[in-house]
Amino acid sequence: MECVVQGIIESQNNSHYMRHNNGVRLQHVEALQILLQGLCGVPKERVRVHELCLKSGPNLGVVPSEVRLLCDLAQPTPSWTVRHVGGAMRGAGAEQISVLVRTIVESKVGHNVLRFFYSLGYKLDHELLKEGFVFRFQRGAQITVTVTSANKMPKLYATDEAVPVTPGIQLVEITAPAAAENYSEVVAAVSSFCEYLAPLLHLSKPGVSMGIVPTAAAAAASLMSNSGAKTL
Amino acid sequence: MPNQGVTLTTQILTEACQCVESQLGGAKDGRWKTALTYYRPALREASASGDLPRELLGVALHDQLGSYYFLLRAHRLILQADSSMQALMDKLQSYKPRVVLNFEGFQYRLGDFQVRVGKCVPSSEVLRGIMMEVEYLPLSSIEKSRQILEDFFDIWQDTVKKRSLPGHFILVEPNFADYGLQDHYTPQHTAVQYATCMTQLMAAVRN
Repeated sequence: MECVVQGIIESQNNSHYMRHNNGVRLQHVEALQILLQGLCGVPKERVRVHELCLKSGPNLGVVPSEVRLLCDLAQPTPSWTVRHVGGAMRGAGAEQISVLVRTIVESKVGHNVLRFFYSLGYKLDHELLKEGFVFRFQRGAQITVTVTSANKMPKLYATDEAVPVTPGIQLVEITAPAAAENYSEVVAAVSSFCEYLAPLLHLSKPGVSMGIVPTAAAAAASLMSNSGAKTL
Repeated sequence: MPNQGVTLTTQILTEACQCVESQLGGAKDGRWKTALTYYRPALREASASGDLPRELLGVALHDQLGSYYFLLRAHRLILQADSSMQALMDKLQSYKPRVVLNFEGFQYRLGDFQVRVGKCVPSSEVLRGIMMEVEYLPLSSIEKSRQILEDFFDIWQDTVKKRSLPGHFILVEPNFADYGLQDHYTPQHTAVQYATCMTQLMAAVRN
């Protein structure tokens, strides 16, 4: 199982605020990075993942199924993981918490996994290249904060030619593994961590869009000036 | 492979183990267990299987508890994964386990060789076969160790003949290159051997 929240953050200059800040460029993503660096106490790691979403062919399985293949391109040797995202916890209790709790099964696999699933009768539904950075740390739970831009490929598997799906917007995802016995503690740890990020971004259950935080620009400016990171 | 008309019993396994211990002087080193699972595709329309593989084989090896291997014989494909891959396939519900075969028995150390003798038992609990796995520890090259292992098998055949076992052992000879495997021996080679062993056993039983 895992707990998940997501949010979006601007990754380009917001010219509206430039006038108020003497031409200082504001990078909300950079500000988020500085904030996370301070909170986590660990260095960021690079993210470059080729994500292939496969769906079962028309006659396969009594119900359709979906699986994600993730190829980690950030390391010198690419490595593959396969992931199945299950249903979210339901019920009145689940609705009250602001974090999504869902089942998840993951496995490292050999590099012939794509050929394996194609042979089983799965078809490529879509593929993305996710690029950005990640912080992994312990704070009440094993938390992972990933900030990435999603990029689409003009040609099949052409990761070198990827272009952003939503230029100017990056996805922030916070996840933490959980088990049936401890998920409420993990939910509490994730929720509490999200509060630190509230000035910069809204974090909510995937699928529940909260948009961009109005105070983001001001918060970003404050973080950037405190850290002395200015670019002209 | 039992002689015609002979029912397989655990007595044959005991006899085989005795051969290893007394005749060859093997030192008992513990138990082992490998599980093979045959999966079949779950179809919405039973008649229209199209070009879906009829069979997917999953292997959990005795000495690789953190790993799981999937074999598609028709595609000559072997996939290595974590043991969580079994749970993942279960969640997908696209391929369902139909037959589970457990191979289990004792393992012995004989100088540079590690020998595993065991029975093959499906979930129906009716004994289907006796198998033996011989590992030559000093070498990882299949080519370099081929002669030594063949010599060992010849010695084994002679030993077993003297005990008048009501059956004979057949050497499994898989084609590793078919699966894209190299000369350097890996657990994937072992998984392929189990798959081939079952194919040969079933073919021999049919004949």
